[in-house]
Amino acid sequence: MNKKEFIDILKNQLYGLPKEDIDEILYDYEEHFSVGLGRGKLEDEISKELGDPKKIAKSYKAHIVIENAQNNPTPTNIVKAVIATIALGLFNLIFVLGPFIGLVGVLIGLFGAALGITVAGIGAFFGSIFAPVFGGNVSVNPIGAAFMGIGTTALGILFLILNIYVVKFAYKGTVKYLKYNIDIIKK
Amino acid sequence: MNIQFKKGVLELCVLVLLSKNDCYGYELVEKISKYINISEGTVYPLLRRLQKEGYFTSYLKESTEGPPRKYYKITDEGKKIKNELIDEWNHFVKGVNSIINEEDLNE
Repeated sequence: MNKKEFIDILKNQLYGLPKEDIDEILYDYEEHFSVGLGRGKLEDEISKELGDPKKIAKSYKAHIVIENAQNNPTPTNIVKAVIATIALGLFNLIFVLGPFIGLVGVLIGLFGAALGITVAGIGAFFGSIFAPVFGGNVSVNPIGAAFMGIGTTALGILFLILNIYVVKFAYKGTVKYLKYNIDIIKK
Repeated sequence: MNIQFKKGVLELCVLVLLSKNDCYGYELVEKISKYINISEGTVYPLLRRLQKEGYFTSYLKESTEGPPRKYYKITDEGKKIKNELIDEWNHFVKGVNSIINEEDLNE
């Protein structure tokens, strides 16, 4: 592979990163080639020593995307970081995707539960108020039931707020885990 | 050499080399691959990551031949990390050697 081929592949594979990052990365390899050529090496020889440009690009990408997820933790950025880490190899597919799907499942479950409790509370509140109107028979004191409804609703909302903290914690944990994974994997 | 071995060691090598004097990329790659057989392209992503983590800074310097070169200079934080890594490395090597030598005795 000559210099142009190497740089072109690297550039293509880096597509999607900020232009500034791409320019800086390519500069390093341009310089590497130019110094190597200056020492009498051939382009083919230099690119062979450097290794596969696709793998090199993946390694940059994973780091930049994870950093982005860390500085700006949105669900999209986290998913991007997970995908970039998985792209590094089969090992990561197993050790990243599995726990990630599990974590997302648990979070969805927690939110479901919190929402369920909130709705149940609201239901109990209105149910106990309107039951006498519609002639229904509530076996407990309607006022007590109404307060119980309010209490349950508050509990559900509290649980929802707690879950938001859990999600934030999960963000940080995921990013850390991805970093740790990359450090083990990268060549 | 086992790829798993090299990964952590590469970071240590870069920091040690830079603590001796400022280097440009090619120089670092050359110095490392003189002793360890690596895919040379892996050094640059590492350099970029370590720089972002604040272990060293870079500056451009004119060269007599060709375009200006990007030199790397270690920071105080980098020196601190380097010393920590050296301690870890020595401890690790000592441990592994103990196990290897113990096995020899049992054979």
